[in-house]
Amino acid sequence: MPWRESPAELARARAEIPVVFDSPTGRLVGIYTPAAPDAPPAGTCAILLTRPRSHRNRMWVEGARRLAAQGFSAFRFDYHGDGDSQGVSGFHNPNQPDREDVVSALRFVRERFGDRRFLTLGMCFDARTALSVFADEPEAVRGMVFFAAPLMELDTLVKAHADQKDWKHMLRALTNRENWTSLGDPERWRYMGTVLGRVLRRGSRANGEAPNDTPLADTFVEHFRALVRSRARALFVYGDTDAEYVSFQVAQRTVFARLTPEERARFEVEVWPGDVHAFLNVPLQRRALERALEWFGSFHPDAKTHEGAKH
Amino acid sequence: MISPGRDTPIRMAALEEHPLFFESGDRPCFGVHHAAPPAPEGVVVVHVHGLGVEQIALYREEVLSARAVAAAGHPVFRHHARGHGDSAGDFSAVTVSTLVEDARAAADCARRRTGAARVIWLGVRFGAIVAALAAGGRTDTAGFLFWEPVSRPMDFFRAQLRGMLFSNVAGGKKPDATVDQLFERITRDGSVDVHGYLLHGALVESARDVSLDSALAAAAPAPVRLIQVQQRARLAPAHAALVESLTARGVSVTTALISSEPGYQLMSNPAWESPELRASTVEAAVALA
Repeated sequence: MPWRESPAELARARAEIPVVFDSPTGRLVGIYTPAAPDAPPAGTCAILLTRPRSHRNRMWVEGARRLAAQGFSAFRFDYHGDGDSQGVSGFHNPNQPDREDVVSALRFVRERFGDRRFLTLGMCFDARTALSVFADEPEAVRGMVFFAAPLMELDTLVKAHADQKDWKHMLRALTNRENWTSLGDPERWRYMGTVLGRVLRRGSRANGEAPNDTPLADTFVEHFRALVRSRARALFVYGDTDAEYVSFQVAQRTVFARLTPEERARFEVEVWPGDVHAFLNVPLQRRALERALEWFGSFHPDAKTHEGAKH
Repeated sequence: MISPGRDTPIRMAALEEHPLFFESGDRPCFGVHHAAPPAPEGVVVVHVHGLGVEQIALYREEVLSARAVAAAGHPVFRHHARGHGDSAGDFSAVTVSTLVEDARAAADCARRRTGAARVIWLGVRFGAIVAALAAGGRTDTAGFLFWEPVSRPMDFFRAQLRGMLFSNVAGGKKPDATVDQLFERITRDGSVDVHGYLLHGALVESARDVSLDSALAAAAPAPVRLIQVQQRARLAPAHAALVESLTARGVSVTTALISSEPGYQLMSNPAWESPELRASTVEAAVALA
């Protein structure tokens, strides 16, 4: 069923406050949705990330207003170079998330509206941007929903032959940009996951620990480690046919596998049948939004079973 | 009217842009006023965006063009219709009537904020029809500026459905229906999922007997600038027919061809931009003013 705006959600729409705030990248435009005054306060603001800020089918507009009706506040904004914000547009590389923008947004909301605790939500590039917040604000963010993002450098996934590969061979191949343009093909991603997994196992045995001894992007590893150091919970969702899922499987074999049981317990992983990436049909959009809002709901102090409130 | 207390957001000093909410029908609608030096007898350019996913696919270029027109000396007002973007309302409740009502409310808000006496309607795709209908019954229209206008809604919907079927084929999925069967499904089930947006029967029915030509014929005569935005060296047949019809009625029509074309139904990375379209828009706005 498509969204049918309820009276409570309409009331939250009427309460929304458009704002302009500064980021090192330019002046950004966002919309703050205050929590309903008659709802039990959650004491938490959800930052919903995408471009432009409403998302496909206005998913984040609906999300903001539904959360606000439940006592959360919410914030959505345009990155620099997108939507109504200033700045120069450019290719959104998931491995170069708009960290300065999202951190500026969080700090603006904290200063202007007084929110102290935050949740973040995004898909693909936006998920990587949501994750990047932990590098700067590890104590502020209590939870993150992370949908279907690639975790490897786009130009490190190459056409190669698994059984003959070592890191030197891989690195040589990486310099050929034509090799990774074929990675729009999910089969290619699966193949590369296999290749890189093998290389990784050999590399780990041979080289021991290094700053980033995985085939995952440096920025992902850096931001994931920041997430681990924080006390936040996270929900990772992929589709089993997503091209991006292969890179997540590498993460599961590497950075996830090294977590202590206590750390690992803070992270939930869901793999749904089919594609999740890009939210390209309405049933998937509904499922993704409902799951994210349900998961965020566990952070409400009034939630019956809310691991989030413990943190 | 403008919602009390919410029409005073932080000023975007460098850009002189004011995001705000205004009322249309029974819902708040989002808008952005791109300020320009006061010109009480002047014009304000009012954008009327495209439908559904096209509202966000062309969003960035609308923003950049609005800034360019404002920098050229004419204020601009953009809005999100109900059921779109940051405005309230259900997309399933959107009809031609609600779109027209919202466009008129946006124009009224724009004139109040700027003091402008006249309106240049900038209609994007389906928004061209909405703009032409919104101008009906008004005496303040200075001109129309259309980006790749939709001439006949039913042809537009049919093209959307056909594109979806092509996309299925390209993805290795055998289509389970023809375009005509999809229209039957819309009548029977109320909607069809087109690339993650529902095409609702209420909208289709509301647009069935509408055309851009007839809408312009019903509005007070005003000059038209038609900007074709597609990879085609000559004016497309539908645009050429519109130009011929308008010219026969004595309407001043000029055209421009922009060969850069967005994926109208797709979100691109980065967002689609066209400096050529922007320059053509500024030139047209200045000429129509």
